[in-house]
Amino acid sequence: MQKASLLFSSNSLAPLPCTSRRPLVPPFRRFLASPCAQLSLTRSQSCRFAALSPPLRCNATGSVKRQEMASQDAQEGQDGRVARIASAIRVIPDFPKPGIMFQDITTLLLDTKAFRDTIDLFVERYKDKDISVVAGIEARGFIFGPPIALAIGAKFVPMRKPNKLPGEVISEEYSLEYGTDTMEMHVGAVQAGERALVIDDLIATGGTLCAALRLLERVGVHVVECACVIELPELKGRDRLGDKPLFVLVNAA
Amino acid sequence: MSTYRDEDPRIHGIKTKIRVVPNFPKQGIMFQDITTLLLDPKAFKDTIDLFVERYKGKNISVVAGIEARGFIFGPPIALAIGAKFVPLRKPRKLPGEVISEEYILEYGRDCLEMHVGAVEPGERALVVDDLIATGGTLCAAMNLLERVGAEVIECACVIELPELKGRGRLNGKPLYVLVEYQ
Repeated sequence: MQKASLLFSSNSLAPLPCTSRRPLVPPFRRFLASPCAQLSLTRSQSCRFAALSPPLRCNATGSVKRQEMASQDAQEGQDGRVARIASAIRVIPDFPKPGIMFQDITTLLLDTKAFRDTIDLFVERYKDKDISVVAGIEARGFIFGPPIALAIGAKFVPMRKPNKLPGEVISEEYSLEYGTDTMEMHVGAVQAGERALVIDDLIATGGTLCAALRLLERVGVHVVECACVIELPELKGRDRLGDKPLFVLVNAA
Repeated sequence: MSTYRDEDPRIHGIKTKIRVVPNFPKQGIMFQDITTLLLDPKAFKDTIDLFVERYKGKNISVVAGIEARGFIFGPPIALAIGAKFVPLRKPRKLPGEVISEEYILEYGRDCLEMHVGAVEPGERALVVDDLIATGGTLCAAMNLLERVGAEVIECACVIELPELKGRGRLNGKPLYVLVEYQ
């Protein structure tokens, strides 16, 4: 699977300790339920989401060898966590405008185990990789970035809309569907040669992540990977990142 | 119960990491910049630890964080104490059904929103932001939570500007801060 190989082929990270050839966390493809307006937030949220496609490991079940059972259990643990994370995300139709199926992570934040698992999955991937910077994109990147940064011992750098950061900044303009926007980072927040992650809740077209990448690279930082909870693969944001690796937990079809 | 922790040795390290930027966003304002605190992993961790030590084991099930800098401090606290995190946002950012609370600014008004159903009646909640100035935003946040029947146990901020008397504007609710800026 094309995307599986991309997850695994990053040459800027040491190979992850896993005896299986499958990626550590398979992108979890999920199909959208019929639109539900006025969703109430109750504990039993799974009913709002359509059947989930089976995780990748099930495709190999018929021919799993005995010595792969240990990694199979590990894989099951990963898939279980990702399944719960995927089902905790709420889809809001026609927000912010008609035709857009908005991926709402606020319901994930209400599920303490799923939120904890989300952070753990990123931390497991990035700890001991000499990452000294986690850059988070305003505003939902501020929710996921700091817990990751704290757990891996990195600093957290907020990437903000214009005129929010109080000190001297550098700016990067990027394209929107209509018009442009600007992202800013503090001068001196990062040093040349540092290794960085860029975090946001979701990648759509990749424009915002690209701007964040450029800001960091302009000051000589090596961006090791971009990491998001959700990817919208149809919008081809991954391609827009070029050779920069992207790691996500959930694909939203 | 002390209202701020100046006796803990970690406080000094936190205070020295906060950068003051004069005349931002406008003339006369000495802006308290916490981004420099976030660049020091130990100081950032100490900040979170001080809050977590205070609130864990207190049956707090909700940490509400005020957009946007409350999103930086709230989630790590929530994760550590096993509470859910509820973002309180500027208008039209939250995609689902919301309740809104208007509040007064120096010039004009603003509005804070919370998702319907995020918090249930009887839940015990914290409100977290990086700084309390006049207390207007924190007040709006508390009102949102109380309107849905939650009990606000305390407001928690990294920094207080005591001259602006925000502490007295919290309807008698306690305020806990790490650092005062005079």
